[in-house]
Amino acid sequence: MAAPEPPPPEGSRPLSALLGGIAQAAFHGNAAVTDELLRGQLYPEAPPEEFRALRAKMGGLLQSIASADMDLNQLEAFLTAQTKKQGGITSDQAAVIAKFWKNHRTSIHESLINQSRWDNVLKNMNWRVDLKSQLRHIDQINTPVAIVEMEVGKNGQESEFLCLEFDEAKVNQMLKKLSEIEESMTLLTQTT
Amino acid sequence: MAAGSARALSQALGALDAGGAANKINLIPQDFFAELCEQIIHHLNHKIPGVNTAELCQRIQTSGIEINIGDLAKIANILSFLFSTAARNNLSTEELVTTLGSAVSTLPKHALQVIRHVWNEQGKSITAAEDARNVATVGQFVDMKWKLGVAMSSDTCRSLKYPYVTVTLTVADPSGQITDKSFEMTIPQFKNFFRQFKEMASVLETV
Repeated sequence: MAAPEPPPPEGSRPLSALLGGIAQAAFHGNAAVTDELLRGQLYPEAPPEEFRALRAKMGGLLQSIASADMDLNQLEAFLTAQTKKQGGITSDQAAVIAKFWKNHRTSIHESLINQSRWDNVLKNMNWRVDLKSQLRHIDQINTPVAIVEMEVGKNGQESEFLCLEFDEAKVNQMLKKLSEIEESMTLLTQTT
Repeated sequence: MAAGSARALSQALGALDAGGAANKINLIPQDFFAELCEQIIHHLNHKIPGVNTAELCQRIQTSGIEINIGDLAKIANILSFLFSTAARNNLSTEELVTTLGSAVSTLPKHALQVIRHVWNEQGKSITAAEDARNVATVGQFVDMKWKLGVAMSSDTCRSLKYPYVTVTLTVADPSGQITDKSFEMTIPQFKNFFRQFKEMASVLETV
């Protein structure tokens, strides 16, 4: 029979913080959060091998939960199963993990999404409306045009700035296409 | 022809001969060359936002001619410069063709014929439009293509399930070349993008 797990010292705060540290390292790419740092800060009294085991177990669980992007039902079933296993987790630990995932699910999922966006993304967009003066066959015409600046580039790489001019007709052309996209999106969210 | 015009034209002609562009023109079949010249004139007339060199190049290549898009773009730019210089100096067809023929001996005969024809038919219309030329420092929006996708799964996450929109903007840059620019947006980004364009439309209406 395996040795029992060291009980979480003084309640759930260190475990919660440990999960936060693991998430920082695994999902948000924070290289500064090392195991040594976590042990020193959160479990200074724990023997290194026990800490390592705890960290590995929690890391594994969080990985499974994040990879499946579990909803509350899935999470409950998963954690309950973990409490029943040999060498699993305690129900206190399960509660801490559940609370952590509820609070951090969105941000962790977003990080995972960003990790898989390898093509150009729209980083930023600005616009203004100018009155363009044109001389056309002697007559002076003032037409309002929108000048749009779009910052486009790959994550973590230098951006390209696209500066485009849209007259009213072109804005309407754009709006028509954007409406089509919105329609498709609505259909998509209805069926998934 | 005034002295200033002669200088301007020979500069334009010099550009034509530089880098052996005249030789490359030799490669282009007459009907494609005519189409190129027509597109350039229409662009100078502000009838079209730009010359679709990529599309034309593809068609020329499909017909079996080996020309690369860089060369075609260069030829387009030189011809554009040539025509606009000729327009600014109010050259007649004879003046243009004579000067061209004698200065650029390597220019193929069929090209000269096309330039004569195109200039004769439509040279005058550029002269008027030149005054209207707006020095564009920004690109012109030409068209937009889109697709909606859902990323299901990845190596770091088995259940990604995130919808995203990929947009390709067809843009005419200030020199008239048409290019495509693509980028991706998440749903919230798309909603913001849409909202911004709606705001633009309402401002344009009220101005």
